[in-house]
Amino acid sequence: MTRAFCVARREYLEGVRSKSFIVATVLGPVIMAAFMIGPSALMSRQRGKPLRLAVVDGSGVLKEDVESALVAREQRFLVEPAPAGTLEQAQAALKQKVMAGDLDGFLYFPGDALTQSTAEYYGKNVSNMMDLGLMEDVVKDTFVARRLRNEGIDPTRIDTLTRRPDLKRVRVTASGSREDRGGTFFLSIILLSMLYTSLAMWGAAIMNGVIEEKTNRVVEVMVSAMPTTQLFFGKLAGVGAAGLTQFVVWAGFMALISVVAGSMATAQGFQMPEVSLLVLVFFPVVLGSPDSTLSVTLSLIPFFTPLLMFLRMTAVTPPFWQLAASVVLMVVAIAGLNWVAARIYRVGILMYGKRPTFPEIVRWVGHR
Amino acid sequence: MAHDAIRLSGVTKAYQGHVAVKDLSLGVPRGSVFGLLGPNGAGKTTTLRMVMNILAPDTGTIEILGRASDQAARDRIGYMPEERGLYPRMVVEEQLVFMAEVKGVARSEAARRVGPWLDRLGLKDWAKRKLNELSKGMQQKVQLAATLLHEPDILILDEPLSGLDPVGVNLMLDVLLDLRRQGKTLVLSSHQMETVERLCDAIVLINRGEKILDGAVAEVKSRYGKNTAVLAFEGDGAFLSALPGVLKVGDFGRYVEVTMADGADPQSILREAAARLKLSRFEVVEPSLHDIFVERVTGHTAGVTSGVTSGGQA
Repeated sequence: MTRAFCVARREYLEGVRSKSFIVATVLGPVIMAAFMIGPSALMSRQRGKPLRLAVVDGSGVLKEDVESALVAREQRFLVEPAPAGTLEQAQAALKQKVMAGDLDGFLYFPGDALTQSTAEYYGKNVSNMMDLGLMEDVVKDTFVARRLRNEGIDPTRIDTLTRRPDLKRVRVTASGSREDRGGTFFLSIILLSMLYTSLAMWGAAIMNGVIEEKTNRVVEVMVSAMPTTQLFFGKLAGVGAAGLTQFVVWAGFMALISVVAGSMATAQGFQMPEVSLLVLVFFPVVLGSPDSTLSVTLSLIPFFTPLLMFLRMTAVTPPFWQLAASVVLMVVAIAGLNWVAARIYRVGILMYGKRPTFPEIVRWVGHR
Repeated sequence: MAHDAIRLSGVTKAYQGHVAVKDLSLGVPRGSVFGLLGPNGAGKTTTLRMVMNILAPDTGTIEILGRASDQAARDRIGYMPEERGLYPRMVVEEQLVFMAEVKGVARSEAARRVGPWLDRLGLKDWAKRKLNELSKGMQQKVQLAATLLHEPDILILDEPLSGLDPVGVNLMLDVLLDLRRQGKTLVLSSHQMETVERLCDAIVLINRGEKILDGAVAEVKSRYGKNTAVLAFEGDGAFLSALPGVLKVGDFGRYVEVTMADGADPQSILREAAARLKLSRFEVVEPSLHDIFVERVTGHTAGVTSGVTSGGQA
């Protein structure tokens, strides 16, 4: 076993000293932080530049309300005076200003805007979701408020009467109740995406290492010096330890980031990082009914356990037997897969030439 | 010497479709330099891999130092695979320590041995560099050191001279001769028979997985007799092939090789040649292993067919 240990130590040291390890270990958290803090930082920067708008009102009753409501919105809008003349002349003049870049856009309300519920926006950029969405809300609210006032109803009273309650979600667990604003969910998503990233990365690292040993014939020296199982598990242990090291470093970064992020913004500022995994297909199923037979079964399948069992844990507290069963199944699956992999490795490392077919690989497993 | 260093008995190894080594038996005497010779694809590497337990023979047994091959026995062997056999991105010094360690040398002891070896091979300044930053010749020196660090009794070198420049060949030959003086057993495989025959005490010639002949080099050659004369001269040597007792004349440009029939008298050929040509050389030589090989494989005597067996990489 001392030789397996030598192999493990070599794999570990070569792993953690490689450039790719250092880059990924340092850059990983930086990219993660960029994902979480980046979008909100970008948005707040965008807020510095208000939209310059003008209002052309054919109905004669909306202009003032809309203008004052726009101005009231966190200084997102600058209202410019509309030019004199007929509606057509005013529109033509404003279109020119928009083309010249002196104006970002203008709103046009036809004469029957209120009864027909129509309004138009003209601008060079009509895909600015944040600001146009805000403007749309202002216009809609103003229309409704105008109509209410026309009927003699106070719009603020309607607001008060139709206000929806704020529903808090409190998770009841064995250790007590506490409010959950989705933070646990986001945290587990982030941790899981890190787990999968590093799994993919280290899986590729092991593969490259094996290929390199094979092409350089180092593997012949190794195989003549120790049983292949020792070589195989030595490599696995070494690379695994390097992966764990990376995880520990990342966890440290995560703690640091969460402290920084916590002081900057609430959970609202967190953006869900992009996780494009097949397993995500099951997310709605498991989240929708975390205790259904399907969810329980899926979360017990070894390949899905790391993701789905954790996901269920953020939603409910699964019974102990399920947790124990998932761990046992995982350990059995890992041991079984390692056994199969070791058998394939043993034959495969010395095969040169043509690429083996799947039936051949299956035969390798049973090879004496 | 009670036992051979390595003994193979009836070893056969078949891959899907073809037999790589067929019923091969051979003994490598202790302290000898043993050549495993044959063209590319003859089964040399497969044989060595079976000795190193990299491949398992289908049938037959392999003994090392008088007992069935096990890990402890194999630890007494230094094995250098054909080209490379090292981690390209690993630091030279650490690599050597690691290679000794997996052969059972304690880490501290391995670290102590590395320094003198690097000194001896002139690699001291490169100890902290990665292997792939070194020139090919230097990499081969490192490879040699990696093979020798655990102080094996037997060395198995697969094509040790292939890919070396003349300086590298000389360095390798020096080291090999030095190891022989130390009483180590050396097993070399090669398809370049001319280079290796000078070094070897005993050889085995294999072709298509089968043994063609084996024995001590001197004995093998005497078995095939002194039937070749080499002549260098000025003038027209066309008449040589018509002389009595001459089987065949091979023209090599600067000289010709005359193959004589058994019992022919070299003196009469010399007299004829001296009378009609301006001779600068006349020598009766032993056939080269290469010639013997070609004769055994093709059934013809060597000569103009020279180069058939050593050409072409498999």
